[in-house]
Parts: sequence; C-alpha cells; structure tokens
Amino acid sequence: MTAVSFETAVSAGLAREAQVRHRRYIKQAVWGAIAIAVLWYAAHQIKFSPYAVAAGVPFMWDFLTRLFPPDLSYMSVLGSATIETIQIAIWGTLLAIILSIPFSLLGARNTTPHIIVFHATRVFLNALRAINELVFALIFVSAVGLGPFAGVLAIALHATGMLAKFVAEEIESVDKGQIEAQLSTGASRMQVILFGVIPQVIPSFVGYSIYRLDVSIRSATVLGLVGAGGLGFSLIQTMKLFKYHQTATCILVIFLLVLVSDWICGKLRRKVI
Amino acid sequence: MLMPNAQNTTTMLSVRGLTKSYGGTIHALRGIDMEVKKGEFLVILGPSGAGKSTLLRCLNRLVEPTEGQIFHNDVQITGNRRNLRAVRRDFGMVFQQFNLVRRLSVLTNVLTGRLAYRSSWRSLFYNFPQEDKRIAIECLARVNMDHKAFQRADTLSGGEQQRVAIARALAQQPTVILADEPVASLDPKIARQVLTYLREVAHELGITVLCNLHQVEYTREYAERIVGMSKGRIVFDGTGAELTDDVIHRIYYRDPDEETAEEK
Ligand SMILES: Nc1ncnc2c1ncn2[C@@H]1O[C@H](COP(=O)(O)OP(=O)(O)O)[C@@H](O)[C@H]1O
Ligand SMILES: [Mg+2]
Repeated sequence: MTAVSFETAVSAGLAREAQVRHRRYIKQAVWGAIAIAVLWYAAHQIKFSPYAVAAGVPFMWDFLTRLFPPDLSYMSVLGSATIETIQIAIWGTLLAIILSIPFSLLGARNTTPHIIVFHATRVFLNALRAINELVFALIFVSAVGLGPFAGVLAIALHATGMLAKFVAEEIESVDKGQIEAQLSTGASRMQVILFGVIPQVIPSFVGYSIYRLDVSIRSATVLGLVGAGGLGFSLIQTMKLFKYHQTATCILVIFLLVLVSDWICGKLRRKVI
Repeated sequence: MLMPNAQNTTTMLSVRGLTKSYGGTIHALRGIDMEVKKGEFLVILGPSGAGKSTLLRCLNRLVEPTEGQIFHNDVQITGNRRNLRAVRRDFGMVFQQFNLVRRLSVLTNVLTGRLAYRSSWRSLFYNFPQEDKRIAIECLARVNMDHKAFQRADTLSGGEQQRVAIARALAQQPTVILADEPVASLDPKIARQVLTYLREVAHELGITVLCNLHQVEYTREYAERIVGMSKGRIVFDGTGAELTDDVIHRIYYRDPDEETAEEK
C-alpha cells in the first residue's frame, strides 16, 4: 500500500468513526427523551406528591406513638402463630419442590416430550407466577375454608411457578457434551435425564429451593390478612381491636422471623452451592 | 504384529457414498467410501473442519447422514431409527472434552455405559445389577483407574478423566470405539498414554477403533492405517510409511482453485 492511499484509508476510518458516534448521540438523546416523558406521565397518573408525604407526617407520627411501646408480654401468645407461619412455609415450599420436578422437565425445551407441551407448561407456570400468594390465599380460603391449610396451598402454587421456571431454565443450560455422551451409549431419553440432566441441575435446584423457603416464610407472615393463618392473622386482629401495642409486637416478631430465616437459609445455601 | 489373525479379515464397517450437509449449504461430508476391518486401529487425520467429527457422529447415528449407507457387520444401520439404541450401544464413543458427568462418581459414570442394556424403569432408582458393577470395575481396571472408583469425576485430571471415558465406552461392550480427538486437550505425555490404551483395546479385545486426530506426529506413531480427510472427502488411505510430506500437504493445504471448482 502506498503512503498516500494509506493516509486516505485512515482518514476515511476516522470520518466513519465520527459518523457512528454522532448517530449514537442522537439515539441516546431520543431514548432519554422518551424515558423522561414516560416517567413524567406516570408520576402524574399516580398522583406523585412530595407535599402529600409532608402533610402525612403528623398522622404517621401519631400512629407510631400509638404503636409504642410494643407489648412484650404478647410475645408468648404469638409463639404458636410464629410456628404456624413456619409450618405453612415449609409445607408450601415442600409441595412446590415436588410439583416443580415434573413441571420443570415438561417446561424445558431439551426435556419436554413435545413443543406444544413446552409452551403450555410455560404459560401455566407464568400464570402461577403472575398470581400473588395473597390472591391465591383468597381463592383457597373460600375453597377449603379459613385457616393455615389455605395458606399452604397458596404458597405451594405460587412457589411452584417460580421454582419450576427457574429449574426449567437451568435444565436448558446444561452442558450438552455430557448429554451427548449419554445418548451415544444408547441410553433412553429418561435415562439421559436421570444420569445426565438431573446431576447437573441438582445444586442450583437445592439452592433455589432454600431461597424459596426464605421467601415463603416472608409471604406466610401476611397470609393471615386474608384469613389464611399465621402471624398475619394476629396482626390484622390486634389492629381491628385497636390494640396497637400488640400490633407492634406482631411487627417486631415478623421482623425477627424474617431476619433469622434469612440468616439460616443464607447459611444453608452457601453450604450446598 | 499383535493383531489376531483370523478376525483380521472380517469387515466390521462399510461406508458407501456417505454425504452430510447442514442446512443444505455446509457440505461437511461429500461422499465417503470406506471399509474398516475388525480389530483395526484406524486414525482419521485431517485439519479442523475436514468433517472428521461429522463422520464419527454419523456412524453411531448421533447425526443423521443426508445420503449414503453404513453397514455394521453386514447389517445396514442407516435409514431405520427403530433400533437406534441397540446401534449406539454397539459403538462406544470417546470425546475431546471427556464429557463425564462431573458430579457423579467415576464408577457411576462407567456404569452409564450399561444403561442401554437396562430398562428405563430400573434406572429410575439409580440402581444397577451386580453384573453391571462387575463389568464396570473390570473396565476401570483395564485403564488402571479402579483405585479412584468412588471419587467424583470432576476431581480427576484430564488424562484420568479420559481413561474413565474409555472405561465407560468399554462398559458398553461395543464392537467399535469412536474416539473424536481424544487427546486434543491433553499434554503430550498423557496424550501418548491415552492413545496407548486405545490401541491396546483394539489389539487385546479385538474392538475396532476409529480415532480422529489432527496431529501428524501422533498419527505416525500410533496408526496402523491412516485415512486422510480434507474438505469432506477422503484424500488418502494408507499406512504410516506412505504418509509422505506430499500427502500431508494434500491433506492440510488444498489448492484453492481446486476448491472453487468443487463448489460448482
Ligand atoms: N451442527 C452443525 N451445524 C452446522 N454446521 C456444522 C455442524 N457441525 C459441523 N458443522 C460444519 O461442518 C464442517 C465439518 O465439521 P466437523 O465434522 O466438526 O469437522 P472436524 O471434526 O474435522 O473439525 C465444518 O465446516 C463445520 O463448521
Ligand atoms: Mg472435530
């Protein structure tokens, strides 16, 4: 290449770089403007108002002073509700773990028997994920009656949706070499799943199940609001009876429970992963 | 010199007019014809992209060929997907990346070589008959890995993993072993050890071994018969002595004019 044509190539490259950069600036400006417009409109719609927060401060203060001091003697009464909350979470999560095994296999592209089954499973799992535990609890309270069992079913369904989708995605990302090796021995599809897929997804499955237990304990603390057992029931009852010092105790116990659960589940998870 | 004599003349594999194209545009195999005898240790030599892996995968039907036939012990195995599991069981496979299930023990990995002999329902309980366990431990002993049977596969070195992978292939009690670049991820000393095991398998058990390699050096050292591949075609078939520089040049550097002529 001659010196002259080399120079032309370099300046052409520089000109192109500037052009690409300017295009990027324009694109960023347009997207920025769109984002601001969307946020502005949303703020307007939801009546976003710092003034309302300021105006509400006295009322919040009033509520807080009425909560204070928590009635610590009420803690002994909350013992059984706390245990019930944990029991709801454990049974709900356990059912979810069992249910998510078939659903994750049906909902993963590489293990599903048919693509239609795959799509149907994913739609079903997304429905379970979309419906909040409280909404499920409302349905089950009317189906199986007030009490903790409605809570167990609510947790089980929502957690199945979350867990099975997560595991299905793990199944889709297994190492293909290990699978191909099993196929090449003449193993059946089911044998490949048993000896090739499952060993690969076990650690993340166990890890996520423990995380789900932690989340379920948090959810179980509010299920009582709709009559599905646990601490939430005490919370709403004491509020309805204007026993705010006891309400404060409920909040305190929930906080402690969530703290302990997070600590234990975190420890367990680090152990398996 | 070590080869058993009578078996030596029986044809194990016969490939006729095998072609494979991916998506109708990439021609990985452009008409392969070859015969492989029982107990033969055959090296398929060629540069990356020559179609070596595709050829081996067609042989045990992991890849469906576009055209052509494969006969195994005079039985045609192409075209019919019904006895797929039985065909694959007869072909042990060894991979470049070993492909052991990392979280399972060495012994369980070897036992997976027995899966095709057992029903899916029995496997559901991760439990194997005593006979399978005996076979698996024997196969491990053959590659001197029986002392690590209960270790997790991912705790082994690369060479050890490849030996376990050979044991897994042997546990299938196959008639053919297909080794796809089995030593490409190993250092020279370990690579020679693994190739020695593969050659022993051919000589002592009468198993036909087809081994893909891209290194001329190893090929010269180990191969009894060499098939040279380039751009989806066999361009050489002979012994190590016949593998002259000229031939190597033909395998690795093909005339670009010739190539464009082919594409038409
Ligand atoms: N699954 C596939 N899809 C598309 N192209 C493929 C696939 N597998 C292999 N090929 C192509 O086929 C050709 C031969 O590949 P391969 O058999 O892997 O050669 P080798 O093992 O000799 O390196 C290459 O051009 C490769 O890119
Ligand atoms: Mg290859």
